[in-house]
Amino acid sequence: MDAPDKNPSQLACQTAHPTTESAVASAAAPELIGLVTHEDVDRARDRWEVARARWKGRTKTFGGVRLLWLLVGPGVLVFLGENDAPSMLSYSADGSRYGVGFFIPFVVLTFIMGFIVQEMTVRLGAVTHRGHAELIFDRFGKFWGFFAMGDLIFGNFLTLVTEFIGVRAGLGFFGVRPAIAVGGALVIVMAAITTGRYWTWERITLSLAIFNGLFIPAAILARPDWHAVGHAMLTWMPFPGGGRYEILLLILATIGATVTPWMLFFQQSAVVDKGMQPRDINAGRFDTLLGALLATIFAIAAILATVPLFHHGINAANFQYAQFAEALEPVIGHTGAALFALGIFEAGIVAAIAISTSSAYAFGEVMQTGHSLNRPLREAWPFYLTLFGSACAAAALVLIPRFPLEFVVLTVNVIAVLAMPPALAFLLLLVNDPEVMGEHVNGFWANVAGVTVTILLIIAGLGFGLATVFPKWLGG
Amino acid sequence: MDSHHADISENPGALAPIDVKSEQLTLRDPRAVLSLLEADQVVAAKRRTHFGRKNLSFGTKALLWALRVYVVAMLVIVFISVYQAIHAAR
Repeated sequence: MDAPDKNPSQLACQTAHPTTESAVASAAAPELIGLVTHEDVDRARDRWEVARARWKGRTKTFGGVRLLWLLVGPGVLVFLGENDAPSMLSYSADGSRYGVGFFIPFVVLTFIMGFIVQEMTVRLGAVTHRGHAELIFDRFGKFWGFFAMGDLIFGNFLTLVTEFIGVRAGLGFFGVRPAIAVGGALVIVMAAITTGRYWTWERITLSLAIFNGLFIPAAILARPDWHAVGHAMLTWMPFPGGGRYEILLLILATIGATVTPWMLFFQQSAVVDKGMQPRDINAGRFDTLLGALLATIFAIAAILATVPLFHHGINAANFQYAQFAEALEPVIGHTGAALFALGIFEAGIVAAIAISTSSAYAFGEVMQTGHSLNRPLREAWPFYLTLFGSACAAAALVLIPRFPLEFVVLTVNVIAVLAMPPALAFLLLLVNDPEVMGEHVNGFWANVAGVTVTILLIIAGLGFGLATVFPKWLGG
Repeated sequence: MDSHHADISENPGALAPIDVKSEQLTLRDPRAVLSLLEADQVVAAKRRTHFGRKNLSFGTKALLWALRVYVVAMLVIVFISVYQAIHAAR
C-alpha cells in the first residue's frame, strides 16, 4: 500500500484550494487509490476514531469528552513545550527579583497574546492540511521563505541548547553527571520519535509535559501570600522598582517565554500531522485554550515558588537554573527545591522534543521530503535525522567545556521576541488570504487582536533597542 | 463523517460506507482510507497541488522589508549588549 516518495509527477500539478470534499468522492480518487501511503493509513485510523467519538458523543451524556480527548494535543503541547527551561528561568527571575506584583498579571497577558496567535495556526493547519513553512514558501516564494526559515532554525537551535542546559542543571541538583543527564535526555527524545506513529508520540510527550505541574507543589511549599496575589492580579501593582533597563529586559524575556516563532510552525504542523479537519477547529481552539490555561498556572507557580528569595533579600540577579533550586533549599525545604529542579528538567526535555520536531517539520516541508511522525524511519529518514541530529548537536554544545552557555541563555528569549513580528506578519497575511483559507479567513476582531500583539512586540523590541543604544534615556 | 457513515455518497458503488458503529475497522482497502480523509489530506494529492505565489503589493513588500531590517538591526544590538554585559561581569 505504501506509495514511493519519489513519484510526485504521477499526477499533474494543480493549484490548491480550500476544500472539505472527501478524498474518495474527489475527481482524483481513481488515481489516488494506488498512491495511498502508510502515513495516510495511520491518519485515516485516527479520523475513524474521531468519527466514532463524534457519533457516540451525540448519543451519550458525556460522549463529547472522548472526542475532546482524541483532538486535544497540539495546543497543550505547544504551550507546555513553551514553558521550557529558559522560560521557567525568566519566571523565576520575575519572582525572585520583584516578588508578587506586576509580573503575575503580565504573564496572564502574554498567554492571552499566545492564544490569539496560536488559534490562527489551528485554522491554517485544519483548512489547508499544510505546515506553516510550506505555506510561506508556496505563497511568498523562496526569497521570503528562506528568511522565515533562517529565523526559525537559528532561534530553534539556540533554544534547544538552553533546553539541554536545563536538563543538565535540573538533574545536576541531584548529583547526576552532565554527560549522563544529557545522554539520558537524548535517549528519551529518540524513544519518543521511534514509535512511527503521531498519536503515540503525542501521548508520550503529553504525559511528560503534564509534569510541568511540578511547579505547583513547589509554589505551595513556598507558602504564597494569596491576598497579595489577588491584589496584584487586580491592580498590576506593585510595579517593579530598580534599574529600568533590567526591568525592560525581563519584560522582553517574559514575553519571549510565551510567544515565539517555533510555536507557530510546530502547532500548525502538528495539527496537520494529527489529521485535523475544519470541523475540528472548535476542538482545536479548546485544546489551545487548555494549553494556554495550564501553562499560565504553571508559569505563575514558578514565579510564586521563587518569591521567598525576594523576601529573604537573596540576590538572584545572575542566577542560572540549578542555582535557583539550591538557593530555595534552605528557604522552602529540600522537597520544594527538588520539585523545582525536577520541573526544570521536565521543562527542558519536553521542549527539546517539541522544538526539534518543529525544526524537522519545517525542514521536511521546505525540502518536500516526508515530514510526518506517522512515517516509518526508513521512509522519512531525513525528517528523523533532522529531528534527532539537531537535538544531538545542541546536546553536544552543552557538554563542551568553556562554551559560553551564559551568552545563549541570556539572548534566547530576547531573540524570540525580536524574530516574532516578521513571523506574525506572514501568519496574518496567510490567515487573511481567501485563496488559502476560504470561509475561515480572519474576522475583524481576530485581525485587531493579531495586529495589536504584533505592534506590542515591536514596541517592546524597539524599547529594548533604544534603551541599549541610549541607556541615559532610562536613567541607566 | 458527521453522519453514521463516512461521507462517500458522491462516489456511489465505489465502496461500502465506513460504519462508525462497527467496533472493527479494516483499512486494507485504499478506498476505505480515502473515505476517511479529505481530498487535500492525502499525501499524493498534497504533492500535486500547491497554493500558487501570491502577488505582493508594494505596501506588503515594504512591510516585510521593514520587519527584516528591524530584526537584523535588533539582533546586532542584542549581541553587542549581551557580549558587553558578560565581559563587564567578568
